[in-house]
Amino acid sequence: MRIRLDPWPVDMEGGQLGLQRFDGELIDIETPRWAAVPPRPIPARLQTVYVVDGKRRMESRVFIEDEGGAAGLGGFGAYVVGAVELCPHGSRPATLRDVRAGRVLAHAPGLRVDPCRLSPRDPHTGQLQYEPVVADSAEPLAPLHKLQQLMLHAEQELSHGLASAVPFSEEDEREALTALTLQDGTLRSQNLGGAVVGCVKTMQTQYLPPDRAGLLAELQPGERTPILHLRSEHGRVTRFTWYVRLCEAAFYQHPLSGVMRLEMYAPEDPDFLPPIVRTVANLSGTLLRRLASQAHKDPRAPQNLIPTAALEQAMTRAMGSADLVTRRLRAHIARELGAAS
Amino acid sequence: MTPPDHERGERLGMVLGTEDVTPVSFWFAVTPGASVGLDDLVTVQTRKPDGSPVHFYGIVDHVRTRHEGVTFDSDVADVVAGLLPAAVSYAARVQVTRVSPENFIPPQPGDEVRRARGEDLRLALSADKMKRSFPGGLLADGQVLPLNYQFVNGEQGGHINISGISGVATKTSYALFLLHAIFRSGVLDARSEGHRTRALIFNVKGEDLLFLDQPNREVAQREADTQAAKGLPAGRYELLGLPMTPFRDVQFLAPPKAGAGDVIVPDVEQRPSGVTPFVFSLREFCVRRMLPYVFPDGNASLNLGFVIGNIEEKLARLAAGDDAPYLTVEDWQPDTETLLAEDVRFDDMGQTRLQTFAQLISYLEYKLLEQNDGEGDLKWVLKQHQGTLRAFIRRLRGVQKHLQPLVRGDLPPERAQAYRPDILKAGVQTTVVDIHKLGAHAQSFVVGVLLRDLFEYKERTGRQDTVFVVLDELNKYAPRDGDSPIKDVLLDIAERGRSLGIILIGAQQTASEVERRIVSNAAIRVVGRLDLAEAERPEYRFLPQSFRSRAGILQPGTMLVSQPDVPNPVLVSYPFPAWATRRDEVAEEVGKTAEDTAKDWLGL
Repeated sequence: MRIRLDPWPVDMEGGQLGLQRFDGELIDIETPRWAAVPPRPIPARLQTVYVVDGKRRMESRVFIEDEGGAAGLGGFGAYVVGAVELCPHGSRPATLRDVRAGRVLAHAPGLRVDPCRLSPRDPHTGQLQYEPVVADSAEPLAPLHKLQQLMLHAEQELSHGLASAVPFSEEDEREALTALTLQDGTLRSQNLGGAVVGCVKTMQTQYLPPDRAGLLAELQPGERTPILHLRSEHGRVTRFTWYVRLCEAAFYQHPLSGVMRLEMYAPEDPDFLPPIVRTVANLSGTLLRRLASQAHKDPRAPQNLIPTAALEQAMTRAMGSADLVTRRLRAHIARELGAAS
Repeated sequence: MTPPDHERGERLGMVLGTEDVTPVSFWFAVTPGASVGLDDLVTVQTRKPDGSPVHFYGIVDHVRTRHEGVTFDSDVADVVAGLLPAAVSYAARVQVTRVSPENFIPPQPGDEVRRARGEDLRLALSADKMKRSFPGGLLADGQVLPLNYQFVNGEQGGHINISGISGVATKTSYALFLLHAIFRSGVLDARSEGHRTRALIFNVKGEDLLFLDQPNREVAQREADTQAAKGLPAGRYELLGLPMTPFRDVQFLAPPKAGAGDVIVPDVEQRPSGVTPFVFSLREFCVRRMLPYVFPDGNASLNLGFVIGNIEEKLARLAAGDDAPYLTVEDWQPDTETLLAEDVRFDDMGQTRLQTFAQLISYLEYKLLEQNDGEGDLKWVLKQHQGTLRAFIRRLRGVQKHLQPLVRGDLPPERAQAYRPDILKAGVQTTVVDIHKLGAHAQSFVVGVLLRDLFEYKERTGRQDTVFVVLDELNKYAPRDGDSPIKDVLLDIAERGRSLGIILIGAQQTASEVERRIVSNAAIRVVGRLDLAEAERPEYRFLPQSFRSRAGILQPGTMLVSQPDVPNPVLVSYPFPAWATRRDEVAEEVGKTAEDTAKDWLGL
């Protein structure tokens, strides 16, 4: 018997390893030879890498009654997306970009809701403005889902807006890869055409068949598997995907720790691998080894990248202190009710 | 009330909200592009809820930069490698020196911080409260630090105390600079005190102060260099409003050379002319009760103190009623050996004339230990133990060599009168008394006697005509432990001198070794380079922590100055002396020929 540890802290839901079965379809799009691919240097013309992430927070759930006598559920929520802009060659300091919070009052359909403006309590603290948005249904969780949608949408816009375009035709294959976006987590369903890589930190699903999974344990730091074309069980999702190892697994950890799955958008027909995808895959080992965090600084190391951790911190700050916001909501409601009575 | 924007200092930043903001101390975030350093004077305006403004003035006593948004020290490598976004946080801490009006509310986070300039600076340094002030040096940005003269001359406070390591702290230089500023800045003219204010300076080390009246030939070049190096708009003397000239109306007093016979020449090496020797007559020694000052540790033993007091009294009586420099006694017939050895002269009618300090000691020895077959004169002995009496004589013999040239009975009366040290001589503003060549006991004797005389004179005449006394090495004259007559005089000056118009500009290496009451009575305290262990002692608690740690790295020519009007000390620099401090710094006088110079050198 051999027992080895999952490197992530136990209070993280699920740990790094899930290993659910995958029933979709995998095609060798790069090469039929299933062996480790060594990393390549980052091309000089790739000048900018963006690390994009988003965050949302429901700040208060509310019960709304409008002037017309209708009533329903809603919620004050905040979401934020942002990017870290960095040079993969280390030629300039990394900077935070567009880390801005939005605030909404998501509510059940059919209600007439005015924007809520929470005026500052002190001349030097800003005011909070919640724009009303209509949730998809009157379900209790609908406002939260609406908030999530808004966040994903904003994140998607940001990711693709920043990255170079990925051509899906053979004609303009020399489209230069000058800007690349690393998105935290799996790619969103809608492809807006940018060079966006999804960095999947966990392995909830084991996409590889047992005879191929052995390669993951053998990868050296920086090496990757060949690119595969992946189609989900129902055919709704198609992706190019590959695995890359960021660091050695310690002897007491399971052999897949230190491995990360990357994915990019793929057309449905598995007959063409855009050169830009291959370029990204080739440089991914080199790039991610530089960005990988270390266990003593980040409990989700190495998969939670250094810029991602900094971005998460900045985004949390951009949303403000949850306690203080809740208090200001309460004060606002108190004032409104006081004025009404 | 607030001046328009263009008249105010540049905007430096905003009050921080992540540290406590209090009315006495707060942090501010420095705006990118602004530069804030220690000692910068700043001002903040906040508004009360009713809209009325409150102004805070303060001094920066701490500045720091750090990465914010990162957690680990090693993150700096990731930041520099361009992987980790981080901002540099540049923040400064302000110690508030003044709140106007005196509403001690805290400023609000986000309030704007500006550099104090012009009127703001005057308010920050409380200059508006000073009716009479003189320059105490230049701040880092070339603005003048005013010192309140009313806290110097005794009106509201008095005395200046300077601490610092010898050599690098330049205590004496700063004391002289302050005197120069007091004499020449015009602060005295307001009440036309200029010609009546005097200084008495004791020169305890080298002959540095014997050229105070001579221009320094290096000063112009040195000041020009400094002006260029610091980028000041004008020379430092010009900024301070002081003339770049040496002291005026100075007299130099020095003890005579020992063993020179009848010729009295001052015991100095570098300065060939212009130094007056000074002596005390033997009669003066007795009449004016100088004996206790011969024994710096006289009060160490009760019995010895009693003997000293008794003999002092006897000598005063013996000397009363005549004014010849020597004493005459009738009851002593020294044997021939003593005669030959000490050149005793006889007067008519069997009287013996005491002309030297040695003879006086021999006479005392006779009266205490030899008369009546070794019993001594009972009225002089007063039942004291022989051992105590011997100790008394032994100590006198110990200082005989040093005092012999100073206390004389062998001069004709008119010469004795001419060589009396007169520190209040008409036409003299500054008196330098050179005691550096004297032994420790003789130094104490001279300082003690002169200060006592001055004190008694001022007790009679009152506090008009302030006299500044500059004395280094206070730890020697007024040590924390033990008692001595000179310490009593200094304590008197420290505690009562203020009301008598005697102002002590005292200096010492270590304030912790000086009598507490002397240091604590000083209204203005100055610290130069300090030993860091010394800087942590309670005597320096008037300096905030950041100043104490900085006291260890102060350069010569910079001082931390604390005055009652401004709650925080201020770092100042002061200019290179305009007077020579060595023979080779003396500027060649115009029209002086090489021959004259050579003669000067040779002392012809």
